[in-house]
Formats: sequence, structure tokens, C-alpha cells
Amino acid sequence: MENTRTKTAKSEEALLEELRDILLREDRQSLSEVEAYITNPERFSKRVLPIIEEQLEFFKKHFPDEYRKVVDRQIEARLSTFKDDMIGHLSPVMGKMIRKYVAHQFQILKEKIDNTVKSTFTFNSVKRKVKSTFSGVDERELLLVELDNTVIEEAYVIQRDSGLLLGKASREETLDQDVIAGMLTAIKAFVEDAFKRESEDLEMIQYGTYKIFIQDYHSYYIAIALQGSLSASEKEKIMTLSLNFAERELRTLNKFTEETIKHISSKLHKYFIQKK
Amino acid sequence: MTSKKVILSGSFGVGKTSLFNKFIHNKFSDKYLTTIGVKVNKKVINVDGTELPLLIWDIAGEVSQNKVPNSYFLGASSVIYVFDLTRPQTYKNLQTDLDYLKDLLPGGVIKVVGNKKDLMTPEAIEEVKASLPLPVDIVTSAKTGENVEELFQQLGRDLISV
Repeated sequence: MENTRTKTAKSEEALLEELRDILLREDRQSLSEVEAYITNPERFSKRVLPIIEEQLEFFKKHFPDEYRKVVDRQIEARLSTFKDDMIGHLSPVMGKMIRKYVAHQFQILKEKIDNTVKSTFTFNSVKRKVKSTFSGVDERELLLVELDNTVIEEAYVIQRDSGLLLGKASREETLDQDVIAGMLTAIKAFVEDAFKRESEDLEMIQYGTYKIFIQDYHSYYIAIALQGSLSASEKEKIMTLSLNFAERELRTLNKFTEETIKHISSKLHKYFIQKK
Repeated sequence: MTSKKVILSGSFGVGKTSLFNKFIHNKFSDKYLTTIGVKVNKKVINVDGTELPLLIWDIAGEVSQNKVPNSYFLGASSVIYVFDLTRPQTYKNLQTDLDYLKDLLPGGVIKVVGNKKDLMTPEAIEEVKASLPLPVDIVTSAKTGENVEELFQQLGRDLISV
């Protein structure tokens, strides 16, 4: 009885195995094929590499579209974190530039209004108009001649740190110009140090109608001494002249010898003394 | 030769301006007027046949060198550090001051000068020199002019040889 039961169970097991074999044959075959691919690197890479390359190509083409939003969010977050620092660094420079520009433009505007109001019906204006009519010279040219009462007396290029003279030109022989350059630098250093205004430089020294304009550059500064009243637009002209001089004559000079000092001096004379 | 910037520095009342005036104008005054800010002047010296223009900055005295605005030292070739032989408080910071100046002007010529020689005996001067942590380059008297010219000659030679 016991033997009969065992035999029946065994035959059931065999039948089940046969059934499994029939049902799973295709799956088992696929599995063994996959195993063969995975265990053989050469075959595996042959199969997978084209897929990776295709994906990489897709990634290259679509990176901006797919990831721009993520990158934008990251940049936005970084900018917001460092916004204060950036403003802290930029604002003094920007503020100084804007303040200077606005103040300067207001000064020019004010002068233009004043001049227009003053000169429209004055005796001088009528005289100028009459003179222009009879002489045939444009009224604007006559006006320029009237305004042209400022004289550049001296011009210097001075080494910013040491105060040593790098070039000089003057209308008349004055005090030792090396000493003037040294004292100007000392005054500049004293004022800038005493008032501790970061990113501010001494721009003008004035006594009576005598003015010294100072324009700072990286390693040197240009000082222009002039006599006479000076409007904002005339000041602007002188500053532009100084900028042009620095750009054309000093940009390439990085070593200052006796020869370069002579060269700068003759150019200074040409630009600032002969012109007037 | 191009000009050299020389700074006269040291504590107040040690005689920097007197040395400056003696050297530049050959004048001496007993009246003490404290220097405000800086005074600049120039003298061309002849060092063994070479003309050397010196731009001398006589700066206001400070108890300690680190109180002098750094901008005055910029671009200087040399510093003459002056102390008063008769006042120990003017040379008590000698070592610290000299270290500070050397840091500020690497490679620059620094001269240590004991002034007011006329008020001391030779023995007392030797005593002061012996008590100092560093050698004194020269002792001078702005009043009598003793060694003033020699100081600038020494300086000129050093500046040319640098």
C-alpha cells in the first residue's frame, strides 16, 4: 500500500517536470542566451556600446533643453546667496561713477541754462550779433573766443607711488618741478589717507583762479595746472585731453628712464602748452 | 641718473627737519616747529663723479613707525631712520621699527642715524651705541653740520651700488 503511494507521487513529479519543461522552454532558452551575453564581455560590449553611444548623442543634442531649468535654478540659488557680496564689491565703484556722471551732467546743464538766460538779451550778445553780421564770422566762433580765457600753465606726469616726475611741461620756468611733483604726491597721500575715503582720489586743488586738476591712472597720474575761470564743459575738454594723452603716449610705456622722461615731456608740451 | 626718493623718518623732535634744512639749505634753527604732514625738497649730490638727484621727504615724527601712513613710503629707495642720542624713548623701538621698515621696503637702503651729537660726550655716545640691538650707521649734529654731508654721501654711494 505504502509502495503504491510512493510510485504514484514519483510519476506525478515527473509529469510536472515535463509540463514545466514544455511551458518554460522558451524562457529558459532566452535566459541562457542572456547569460552567455553577460558572461562574455566582448559580446556584451558589442551589444551595449551602440546603445550607450546613441544615448550620449541624444544627451549632447538635448542637454540644454533637458537640463537648462535645473542649471538655471542652481545659478539663481548661487546668485541669491552671493548677491550681497557682489553688491558690496560693485556698489562703491558704480556709485562713484554714477554720482560723478550725474553731478557733472547737472553742472553742464546748469551752466547752459545760465548762459542762455544771461546772454540772450545782454549788451554783449547784441554786440556779438552785430560783429558777426558785419565781419561775417559765425557768432558761435566769436563766443568760443570769449570763453577761451583759461591758460594751461603746467602739465606733469607723476609716478603715483613715489611722486617722482616722469614728464613735465610748463609755460614759464617755475619752482623746481621735481619738488612740485613730490609735494603734490605728498598732499594727495595726506588727504587720501586722512579722510580714508576708499576708492576716492584727490581730483583738484584750487587757490584763487589757479587750479590743479589731477587724473589718476594705474601707476601714474597727470596733473594739469591752469589759470582762469573754468566751466564744466571746459573741464571736461581738459580731462578728455588728458585721457587721450594717457591712451596715446603712456599706454605702452612701462619703464621710465631719462630718455622716456624727455619723450613724455616733449609730448606734454605739444598736447597741453602749445595747443592753447 | 633718475631721482631717488628718500624718506626721513623717526620719532618726533629727533631733528629730522633740522637735518633736512641743514642738508638742503645749510641752515639751522633752535626753534622747534613740529612738521605737519610732509615737506618735500630736492638736492642733487655728486657721488664719485655721478650726479644723483635726491627727492627727500621729511615726514611728521611718530613714536612708532607703523603709525606713519604707508603711502609715504611707496616707491622710496631709502629711509633715513633718525633718533635722538639724548632721549632713550626715541630709540627704544629701534629693532621693531627697523623690522617694520625692512618689511615695507624690501631691498631698500635703510640708514640708522643718531642725531644731536653736539649734546653728548664721545663716551656717552659709545655707551648709547653699545646699548642698541643694531649698529648705528652714523652719528650727526644738525646744529654744527657734523657728518650731515657725509650721511648723504654714504647714502648716495649705497643707492648707486644697489
